[in-house]
Amino acid sequence: MILNKNVCIALVLFTTVSFAQQKQVKDSIEINQLDEVKITTATRTERLLSSVPLPITVITSETIARSGITRLNEILNEQTGIILIPDESGFEGFQMQGLDAAYTMVLIDGVPLVGRTSGVLDLSRVSVGNIERIEIVKGASSALYGSEAMGGVINVITKKPNKDEISGSISYRYATFNTNDINTNILWKKKKFAANLFSNYFSSDGFDLDKSTPLKNTERFYNSTIQPKFYYDFSEKLKLTVSNRFFHQYQLNAALINNAIYKGDAEEKEWNSQVKLEHKWNSKIESEYELYATNYKNDSFLNDQNNIIYDQAYYDQWLLRPEMRTTISLKNDKITTGIGMNHETLDRTYFDENVTFNSKYVFVQYDYNPTKKINVLAGFRYDNHSEYASQLSPKLAINYKFNTAFSLKASVGYGYKAPDFRQLFFDFTNPQVGYTVLGYNIAEDRLNQLEAENQILLRYPGISFNKPLEAESAVNFNFGGFYKKNKFKIDANLFYNSISNLIETQAVAQKTNGQNIFSYFNISEIFTYGLEFNSTYNFTKELSMSVGYQYLTAKDKSVIDNFQEYQYIRNDQLQTVKINKSDYFGLFNRSKHTANFKVLYTIPKLKTDINLRVFYRSKYGLFDTNSNKILDEYDKFVKEYVITNLSVSKHIQEKITLQVGANNLLNFKNPDQIANLSGRQLYARLQYNF
Amino acid sequence: MKTNFLKLSLLALVVFVTSCSKDDDAKSVAPVTTKTFSNLFAPQTGGQGQPVGGAFTKFSFSENAIVTNDNWDIAFRGTTIIVNGGDEIGITDEPLRTGVGAISTVSNTFAGVTLFPDAATFVQDGPSIYAIPTGSGNGWYDYNGATNIISPRAGKVFVVKTHDGKYAKFEILSYYQNAPATPDATSPTRYFTFNFAYQPNSTTTF
Repeated sequence: MILNKNVCIALVLFTTVSFAQQKQVKDSIEINQLDEVKITTATRTERLLSSVPLPITVITSETIARSGITRLNEILNEQTGIILIPDESGFEGFQMQGLDAAYTMVLIDGVPLVGRTSGVLDLSRVSVGNIERIEIVKGASSALYGSEAMGGVINVITKKPNKDEISGSISYRYATFNTNDINTNILWKKKKFAANLFSNYFSSDGFDLDKSTPLKNTERFYNSTIQPKFYYDFSEKLKLTVSNRFFHQYQLNAALINNAIYKGDAEEKEWNSQVKLEHKWNSKIESEYELYATNYKNDSFLNDQNNIIYDQAYYDQWLLRPEMRTTISLKNDKITTGIGMNHETLDRTYFDENVTFNSKYVFVQYDYNPTKKINVLAGFRYDNHSEYASQLSPKLAINYKFNTAFSLKASVGYGYKAPDFRQLFFDFTNPQVGYTVLGYNIAEDRLNQLEAENQILLRYPGISFNKPLEAESAVNFNFGGFYKKNKFKIDANLFYNSISNLIETQAVAQKTNGQNIFSYFNISEIFTYGLEFNSTYNFTKELSMSVGYQYLTAKDKSVIDNFQEYQYIRNDQLQTVKINKSDYFGLFNRSKHTANFKVLYTIPKLKTDINLRVFYRSKYGLFDTNSNKILDEYDKFVKEYVITNLSVSKHIQEKITLQVGANNLLNFKNPDQIANLSGRQLYARLQYNF
Repeated sequence: MKTNFLKLSLLALVVFVTSCSKDDDAKSVAPVTTKTFSNLFAPQTGGQGQPVGGAFTKFSFSENAIVTNDNWDIAFRGTTIIVNGGDEIGITDEPLRTGVGAISTVSNTFAGVTLFPDAATFVQDGPSIYAIPTGSGNGWYDYNGATNIISPRAGKVFVVKTHDGKYAKFEILSYYQNAPATPDATSPTRYFTFNFAYQPNSTTTF
């Protein structure tokens, strides 16, 4: 029914588009603009994208608007080398350079989002309605951002008033699954004072791939976001920014327990506030003082069929972060220093008590330009932490610009990710099965306690909690370049990441009920390497095409070194077969090849843009299916697939934009293996700019 | 002279090696045949925190059958496997051991195990010692805590010295009734299906 309705809307709109007036549309080819884009994430100072010696992707507001997409996770998923995928536990996150979502820091206007589930941030929390651009720095970035930035940084920059006027936009979008998206954004500036109010309401009935089961893939939800921001310029030398973000989501919570449906609510609340003072001491020295506070909370419950509470869970995380940065401009060079501290607390179900992390840090970066052709970035960050060993994260990068059409860049950096609260303080016993997971810092005491209660059958030998759990760490190399000739343009990057001390669970004891007790340990070493490129060809002013591709290999070093432990598999007839080392496919959930193909066609006469994007992902495996604990060529894989998104935007006068489109146009579904892929979604959107 | 001597030695060596293998061939009357025993039911009482008990299901390789007398080679109860050799482990309802049995664990495919392992690698049961260690990842199975499935470890072949000093090898294929390729939590459990080969002759190979 819903589908039919949408088809009708789409048809009506297409007709409108075809017969619309003929007027000029300003042509904007994404890659052309990127050269002039100024970015801040890579160096924490404003820099031209083309001169930065690091692998960077920028998504502009035009790209977002043309794509017809509403949430941050969806737009990221359209970028080369960023793959949105649920992990084994079902939480959807994105991979970059083969590293999981837990290893990428996500910032909004330079300050981090918190509230991760199993290490994964739910980026559908972020509406793209007020985004100016998204800057993505790939590769270890701990030298500026510390823990979590081991695999990279995603920084969402929101729109800011810059003219003395009132401007803004209001839009409504309706899509399949009764999905509603309402945006309003008002920007106002008068001399020294400016303000911006963004609000978004988003709701959906969710989707269900298998109607015969009582649970949906996504249950019904609605959320709202309000972002008020204020700016006041005391003088040319002293400027104040106060920005806030409030997010609230309500979702139906449902679970199938003993063949009965239990229902309840899940509520998420996020609040953050940033106060920033920019101070220009003189033409050479500038300081920024920033105070950031954020709180992420979720509460959920399930009632049984008699409406009696069966299960309740909560999660309440706070982060308070004062930071001061100073940039000294020398003749051609810049020195940026920063000092700050993090005060972080978490109170959640399965934690014995409220836990606190404190860390202090300092960073220095030297942006060195010995000649016009060479740019060198050298820097480090030192983090001193209350719960784990101090970290020194250095980074060195160099860009050589042969001419405006050709440049090469290389970088090497260290990144780390601190053990998280869960890995240190978890105290969880599965009520149905009876196994227990204990955080590293509390494991020894809890084991002794359980032993005294005669709950432990035996403790496995060789387990010790004497040394603190170490941070996971990465060494990252990038080598790439940029080349353009006439209508052709290409950006390419080779990457290599070597990650050690990966934290995994390991059994430490057996309980008298026969189940194991697990804790977290530094176990594996993995490496990832690959090649990524983006190329664009502008056939005419009206037509441009781009191809993006990533090759990826991601493997566990200990599997390669001790392959004899993994060389036997059990085939369909349950017989043991010996396989070769070359049959080792690599880490779970990684595709060797991902690619995208995008076409932008503008019809100036009709003021219409047609934007087609096709995404390919080669086969990958989620589980070991033949009893050797690793993914090999004989395992069952998730087959390769293609997703096609299409959007058509029509501008009426200067102020109104009409858009229709389809995400997953060809309605690809794989309900058994890819639970987060909903099938075709049609949409129509109307936007009014003022 | 030197060359001739070398050639002669090589020749001698070749003749020697060839004759040796001929001897071996001559000794093994017929190659062993691989058989599959399906759905050996090995129930237990207790578990999940309660003391485990109940009679072991005893198996004889030479008879290819479950036996109730003392001529058993290995015996099953739940995930526990014991051997007819050594001393009492000290668990409830343990059958009497009257044999000389022992077990050696080999990492290989079932067909790949052709030579008897070194005598020093054979282990007997004893006080708190299991010839096939218990627990996930230690002996014959892996346990998946998320799915509650017990999977026999691939490439683990157990060479058994039988109660009367002969040799057999076996590999467990499934712990579930009728050996489904992908058992789920509802599959009836404690049904062993295994491949085995019994060598009745006095030799050192299968």
